[in-house]
Amino acid sequence: MSLSREAIVEGLHHILGTDSVVTDERILRESSIDRFRMFEDIHGVYTQPIPAAVAMARSTEQVAGVLRFANEHGINVVARTGRTATEGGLETAVADSLVLDGSGMNQILSIDAYNMQATCQCGVPLQVLEDRVREQGLTTGHSPQSKPLAHMGGLTATRSIGQLSTLYGGIEDMIVGLEAVFPDGTVTRIKNVPRRAVGPDIRHVIIGNEGTLCYITEVTVKLFPYLPENNIFLGYTVDTMKTGFEVLREVMVNGYRPSVARLYDPADGAYHFAHFVPEGLSVLIFVAEGPAGIAKATAEGIEAIVARHPECRQVESRYISTWFADLNWGPDKIAREREGILQTGNINRTTEVSGDWGRINDIYESALRRILAEIPDITMAGGHSSHSYINGTNMYFNYFYNVVDCGPEEEVTKYHTPINRIICEETLRHGGAIVHHHGLGKARTPWVKDEYGSSYYILEGLKRTFDPNGIMNKGTIIPA
Amino acid sequence: MNAMRILVCFKVTPDYEALREADWAAGEADCVSGAGVAVGGTGVASGVETRYVPRILDCFDESALEMALRMREAAARDGVAVGLGAVAVGGREVEPHLRTLLALGYERATRVHAEAGLDFVPTVTASIVARYVQETNKTDLLMLGCCSGPDDSGMVPFLVAEELGWPCLTQVTEVTVLSDDRVRVAHMIDDGLLRMTVRLPCVLGVGNAVVARLRVPTLTDRLARRDQHTELLQATDLGIDVPAELGRATCVLTRLQVIDRSRAGVIIGGETPRAKAQALFDSHLKSMIEKL
Repeated sequence: MSLSREAIVEGLHHILGTDSVVTDERILRESSIDRFRMFEDIHGVYTQPIPAAVAMARSTEQVAGVLRFANEHGINVVARTGRTATEGGLETAVADSLVLDGSGMNQILSIDAYNMQATCQCGVPLQVLEDRVREQGLTTGHSPQSKPLAHMGGLTATRSIGQLSTLYGGIEDMIVGLEAVFPDGTVTRIKNVPRRAVGPDIRHVIIGNEGTLCYITEVTVKLFPYLPENNIFLGYTVDTMKTGFEVLREVMVNGYRPSVARLYDPADGAYHFAHFVPEGLSVLIFVAEGPAGIAKATAEGIEAIVARHPECRQVESRYISTWFADLNWGPDKIAREREGILQTGNINRTTEVSGDWGRINDIYESALRRILAEIPDITMAGGHSSHSYINGTNMYFNYFYNVVDCGPEEEVTKYHTPINRIICEETLRHGGAIVHHHGLGKARTPWVKDEYGSSYYILEGLKRTFDPNGIMNKGTIIPA
Repeated sequence: MNAMRILVCFKVTPDYEALREADWAAGEADCVSGAGVAVGGTGVASGVETRYVPRILDCFDESALEMALRMREAAARDGVAVGLGAVAVGGREVEPHLRTLLALGYERATRVHAEAGLDFVPTVTASIVARYVQETNKTDLLMLGCCSGPDDSGMVPFLVAEELGWPCLTQVTEVTVLSDDRVRVAHMIDDGLLRMTVRLPCVLGVGNAVVARLRVPTLTDRLARRDQHTELLQATDLGIDVPAELGRATCVLTRLQVIDRSRAGVIIGGETPRAKAQALFDSHLKSMIEKL
């Protein structure tokens, strides 16, 4: 039988002490959502069930205690750290949920410059870790736009990726080992070794689980030399996205690994580059980095490839380096965004997918065509590719719309979900993946079975095995 | 029925928020003249390099543009017709903004061409705007932002009003259309907020208004007004010789200096929030409470 809100709070007091259990109504309301429902939040409207409490865990043992308690009493647990989720993964979809917050577990446990790895607790902000390792001339290589705000636990739980991924990889390529706690309180540690062949790579059961299988309490990530003095910024205009994708492909297929390889369509590009790019053109951006010789060779290789496409015209590299320096989102930009949305009713959303080289342009064109034809009140719709691989790339759809003739609580159902539906349908139809790096959250879980196909059997099996009582983040990844 | 004719004058400025710290270089100006500052060249810190950052609407002008739209909507409900025009003095970076304004319902959107170099020389900009108002003879109410950022003097509204011989109110935060020749204006003064009824024509310099952001047109709005074109004028069309005016400028930039805005403060130490709170109490709050 489920516990009352009061009993949940009392149980948490026994485990964590009274100071670490938050029951303030305003905080509870804000803890019922993430950025997926920011329009509601900005207008002070909260439509999701309000959690019973936010439990601020300070140790792995406390996380284990809270999970055992929730598991025993069937309390839905939503795991979080930096709260930068964008896809509804932090929504408390079930009444009287418990939000388990690890932001207080914020210690960097070791920076091992000899073995090039750093270990930290889940609540360490990436920016803090990055700043600390840079003091030793190192970098994590992880640089998502949310770097100033996101924490290591959440970044791992959502399979995040950074702007330098084409060289350093996604978080899954960076994680060496980790510690996680499962719903029955079992604490598991995967040790830090360069590689192993001892059966399946079980790190990937944990990385990207979005709080649906376990709670990540500690991670160890790789480190790399930090050599910004060698960075070479390259930018080009290009007439069509199709040619742009072709250039990206040639760069990747020919073995070059720039840290940044991006292609913006005219609409998205105008949003960023109108001060130096003529209207109607797409924009290619590369950053070559690493040891001086490698950076130089990478830049020269890219320049040689681009030279084979006469429609590409180079722009001054300082435009690119200046733009790149202002890309991340901190509290200041978040505050300005909220003010702008409140005054204009105009909101920016994104949906990121991936596809192989043979499919990505079709995904891009067909989804965009449908968005423009089917969705009202669009003020801008475009996209960019920002993470490339040997076999394909991602497409980051970027769109703005005016929210009109509906209440704040209808914004998601009137605009965002229909756009997500179009993008997911077109991506699936062309054989791509419906999420590239934000996680499924609750926003794109409705399409998870179509995404996985027959392999959904494995996903379901993981859930059944590790969360048999279904207490972990109901409605995320596995449909409720 | 007569319509009130509002003209909003706006400026497109560099997005200073997007500047890298390294681009804020203080020092002697490289090339000082009425044309402002030429940056670079000697390798010596010589100015603020803004060429590489995006261009945005000046925030005060943005307020004025949105206020005018709202004034028209409100006036329409009261049966007063309002016509809207916009003019900017600048280069091609202004064009996308003019098209946005047409899509939002501005009937006229004009650019008076000027290469970079009018910064720090408000007299020339003011002359161009005033002459445009006189030549077109389609303006009852001129609205413009009070100033446009770190490189601006805030003088343009006054100078334009002087040339036109119109009254001028600045730090305007709210305007209501009362009839086709009268508006109710709220503007900040030293002692507070002053409301007054003003008979047109007049110049209003918009200050820190609550209405701060310009609405965004939909793609459908843009498509519907794609046949409306922006107007391009040269300063010479208005009888103004910009190089000669710049030569007569009496105010020149000679030096840039970083203003130290850092605030005195103490970073409270302590392992935990509780320890930090205790340290704050012991070192600062306790003695204050004891004095009460």
